[in-house]
Amino acid sequence: MNRPQRALQHGLATCLCCHQLVELPAGGRCQCPRCGARVHGRIDGSLMLTWALTITGALLLLPANILPVMTVIYLASGEPSTIISGVMQLYHAGLWGIALIVFVASIAVPVMKLVGLALLLVQIQFRLPLIPRQAMKLYRVVSGIGRWSLLDLFMISILVALVDMGAIAQVAAGPGSTAFATVVVVTMLAARSFDPRLIWDVYDQRQSVNTENDKKGVAGNG
Amino acid sequence: MQHGRDKTPTHWQRACHECDLLLTGRLAPPGQKLLCPRCNATLHRNAKNSIRYTAALSLTGLVLFIPTASLPLLHFSIFAFGAENTLVNGVLSLFDAGYIWLSTLVLFCSVLAPLGKFLLLAFICWGSGWAFLDRPVGAAVRWYQHLKEWGMLDVYMLGILVALIKMSDLGKMEVEPGLYCFVAMMLVANLTTLSFDPQAVWDRMGRRRERRLRAAGAGESS
Repeated sequence: MNRPQRALQHGLATCLCCHQLVELPAGGRCQCPRCGARVHGRIDGSLMLTWALTITGALLLLPANILPVMTVIYLASGEPSTIISGVMQLYHAGLWGIALIVFVASIAVPVMKLVGLALLLVQIQFRLPLIPRQAMKLYRVVSGIGRWSLLDLFMISILVALVDMGAIAQVAAGPGSTAFATVVVVTMLAARSFDPRLIWDVYDQRQSVNTENDKKGVAGNG
Repeated sequence: MQHGRDKTPTHWQRACHECDLLLTGRLAPPGQKLLCPRCNATLHRNAKNSIRYTAALSLTGLVLFIPTASLPLLHFSIFAFGAENTLVNGVLSLFDAGYIWLSTLVLFCSVLAPLGKFLLLAFICWGSGWAFLDRPVGAAVRWYQHLKEWGMLDVYMLGILVALIKMSDLGKMEVEPGLYCFVAMMLVANLTTLSFDPQAVWDRMGRRRERRLRAAGAGESS
């Protein structure tokens, strides 16, 4: 059976910006002749950078969820609410649809992103057996959903301007929102710095090891 | 697969940017998508009349940006007190409250990045007709690729909806004309993203370069 041919084995690389196929020089990196972007076989230090950003995101998730993100003061009373208590308030007010949207965008998505990235990184770092199609699906979900977590922050910025009537009603942002904004940005950057071609590198390597073992086995039996 | 033919060099046209598989097909037929046979990544989406549509849509977006940024989006009132929300005043009040990083992020994702995308696309589509703009247009395409995922008008729209429903039991919430412009701009932004195909720009430049080379060759031989 023919093994699928991959660009790096042929000394070729694709420009991630304009998808032009480029012949790599000895150093392994060059400028794309068409769009001028830097081209390298794999993103430089992809694993390390993604690890660093994922861990940063996971650590920042703690202050983002513990500190209050927003305070709604109505008729001089009101207390700061965190992300989770904000969702609970919406749920108790009977707005369970909105509660679900906010829950998905600001709790489920960041956690899922970090867990997904960690799974991919562990699989590649330790060269575990992986199913590339599943891993690719995970990668695409992780890199696609990240932006929706900014929903809560946009809502805060709208409310801060909208509800500004002194003692009667006022909305103020809280320190947790800064941490949460950083979580979103850091995880988006982490998804960008992850190079999905590494998944296939690990897979191909395992495949070739397996076929060699099979050949040895056949030779031994014969 | 025929044996004995493997030695002849294959003319690879493209490598999948997500799994590095070498492919001989280069472009999708008009109106269709080219998918990677191994990892199912979208390699090329050939939108019909890409440059023309994108040029028109990006100008529409720029025109719509003016009322969206200057008119109020929402009006909120309790008793006789009222406040308005525009695209920028939420950012300003966050900035005044000391949330510099958060306000910068909101400003970037909801105003600067969408505006930058429209400007870059308008420049790319109108500028790719002139040879002396080849280099800046190439750079603009590169910038656009970096900026693409940071324009979050659709997320902001969902934020507006959540704010609308969340505050509706506290006071009176009214929709202002700016919101209609905002919705139109969001739709145009999404359509622009769909219709833009960088490959069409590269092809246009490549054809022009070829024509010029041929003209130069004809001039020398005569």
